[in-house]
Amino acid sequence: MHLVPLVFYAAAAAAYLTHFAWRDPRVGRLATALLGGAVLAHAFLIGMQTVSVGHAPLVGTTAAISAFVWLLGLSYLYVEITTDERAMGVFVVPLLVVLDIIPALDPAISPRPPLLQSPLFTLHIVSMLFAYASFALAFVLGVTYVLLFKEIKAKHLGFFYARLPSLQALDAMNGRVVTIGWIFLTLGIAVGGLWATQIHASTDPRAQAMGIGDPKILVALLSWCVYSFALLARRAIGWSGRRAAWLSAIAFVIVLLNFVPVGYFFTKSHNF
Amino acid sequence: MMRPQDTARAPALLAVGISHRTAPVELREAVDFTRRGLDAALSAFAARGISPEAVVLSTCNRAEIYALGDTDTAAEQIRNFFIEYHGVDAGGVANHMYSLRGIDVARHLFRVAAGLDSLVVGEPQILGQVKTAYSTASDLQFAGTVTHRLFHAAFAVGKRVRSETGLGEGAVSVSYAAIELAKKIFGDLSGLSVLILGAGEMAELTGVHLRSQPVKQIAIASRTLASAEALARQLEGRAVPWSDLTRALSAADIIVTATGATEPVLTKTAIDDAMRARRNRPLFVIDIALPRDVEPSVGDLEQVFLYHMDDLQTIVSENLARRSTELAGAEAIVDEEVSKFATWLQAREIVPTIVALRQRFEQIRQSELRRLEPKLSGLTPEARARLDEITRLMFEKLLLTPTEQLKQIGEDAIAVDYAEALHRLFALTPEPSSSADKGDRPADLIPRARAR
Repeated sequence: MHLVPLVFYAAAAAAYLTHFAWRDPRVGRLATALLGGAVLAHAFLIGMQTVSVGHAPLVGTTAAISAFVWLLGLSYLYVEITTDERAMGVFVVPLLVVLDIIPALDPAISPRPPLLQSPLFTLHIVSMLFAYASFALAFVLGVTYVLLFKEIKAKHLGFFYARLPSLQALDAMNGRVVTIGWIFLTLGIAVGGLWATQIHASTDPRAQAMGIGDPKILVALLSWCVYSFALLARRAIGWSGRRAAWLSAIAFVIVLLNFVPVGYFFTKSHNF
Repeated sequence: MMRPQDTARAPALLAVGISHRTAPVELREAVDFTRRGLDAALSAFAARGISPEAVVLSTCNRAEIYALGDTDTAAEQIRNFFIEYHGVDAGGVANHMYSLRGIDVARHLFRVAAGLDSLVVGEPQILGQVKTAYSTASDLQFAGTVTHRLFHAAFAVGKRVRSETGLGEGAVSVSYAAIELAKKIFGDLSGLSVLILGAGEMAELTGVHLRSQPVKQIAIASRTLASAEALARQLEGRAVPWSDLTRALSAADIIVTATGATEPVLTKTAIDDAMRARRNRPLFVIDIALPRDVEPSVGDLEQVFLYHMDDLQTIVSENLARRSTELAGAEAIVDEEVSKFATWLQAREIVPTIVALRQRFEQIRQSELRRLEPKLSGLTPEARARLDEITRLMFEKLLLTPTEQLKQIGEDAIAVDYAEALHRLFALTPEPSSSADKGDRPADLIPRARAR
């Protein structure tokens, strides 16, 4: 059962690629349907896990990745359906496939330690995951912006010119999703900080490690700074377009590094 | 039970017309049906009773009538209609007209709908024009089964060619390439400000083209204010004195330069200042002047997209080259759809056979009843009615299975063989392959123009 979403995501990715290359609208509709199927199957899987362990499967990096993949798939579908623009899928869905390999290989759900039995914990995780999903979309929008920008600037109108929406649309969407992501990131960090002070008395070594010196927390704050700068620069000094695109792309690389390698190997506070 | 239009034998498809391939523009203008309205033309054509179904397709590059009719006479009548309706010189037009028949009509219409027969190959407007032509005919109840099928197949070809090939892609004129680029940069053109530098012929041409786009405003700046004002009046724009150029530059999203200046009018410094004033919002600069009006280094500025006339021309020629490589794919789609339509047309041939078969049986029944008349004279009217009904039902039953079977093989070329076999076995008339429509069928089975 835990492999079903991955199979659907992979099939959807193949369909998005085919659609992007050949632009057959039927394949495009198939791709959307497959992704919809993947998100549904994934929701079902998460629901089953919730029922079997008695709490939402958000404990540990693997479970968080699974939830992230599902949220990103859902957010992307929302964007695709509201904007009627399918070209982004070719960049988003392969990312879902790669990330979903991790929970598919390790489907065991870790029990929830007493430390995490707080509504603040759930709020913290859900906010962070929403923020990451928004930033992932901003990353894709940024990358596509740069690709299209290069073609138009170099006067070689080709592959991306024929397939992507306008620069203006990509830039405006980028600004919007970064704003949404920043709001959730701020909320997630604030709630995390509040919760960390509440559990500081705990003897759990992880609770003791909650502090500015922990790589996971440090890098999260760093990414908050980068996104804050991106928002500020867009409003104050007209950093839109290519600069904003680069910023959102680089910032998401930081987020992704923090999410996967730091989450698995370096953090002492977030290794549940 | 068969409906009357199903029993009608399908006369051959006909198309008669004139196009950019066969006639110069003056002649095409003379036979333009849209001047007095497509519906007027259709009604006038209907009044002549040449064909039960007709569609008039009229664009600036072609005027064509699609109809059903019996070969040469009908084609000749349609040609005369062209001449008489427009009151043009018969000798002058006749040489430029073509007439097509049967499956060639389908091939022609499919190529037209796909944009393969257009002056600019792959242009997208033609499909809409074909749709209008059909819906006008359909509203006036001039589109029957064959026309309906023919035109819907043509729409499908148009759609397939557009979605499966790159035939319609890429601008093929400089001005359209510029508009397309602007749309790729800004998305929506409404709300954009355009600044035109220069008031000469090139500036005017560009201005007229931009006017047709939903831009917010057009400003014209020229060294002589009077000529800027003259062009501004024509374009419903605003004249800007040359001294106000700096302000005008920072307000513009699209700048078109077409002055006769020998030195660059827009320097990198000037545009850099303008960009700062507009907080780095994207700027699209189109330089159509020769020699250049804009320093090439302006293109190095972030968020400035500089295109010279030559760049646009390169894009156009690349697009034209790309279109020609897509031709084969588009023609293949046309071939495929033509053969589908041909099969359908052929299958329709079985319908007259079914009609003939049923008539033959009915004839036998009637003649048998007549022959037995003396022996039946003693029966009461009720009993005779009963007898008539019993025999009729018996024949109906006998024919039910063969009729259904024949209709089922309808979509197959074997149908023709079956039709021939039936004609032989039951000595049916007329022959299935004959296109003549003068059988001994009851009058209500012969197709007629349906009254409006």
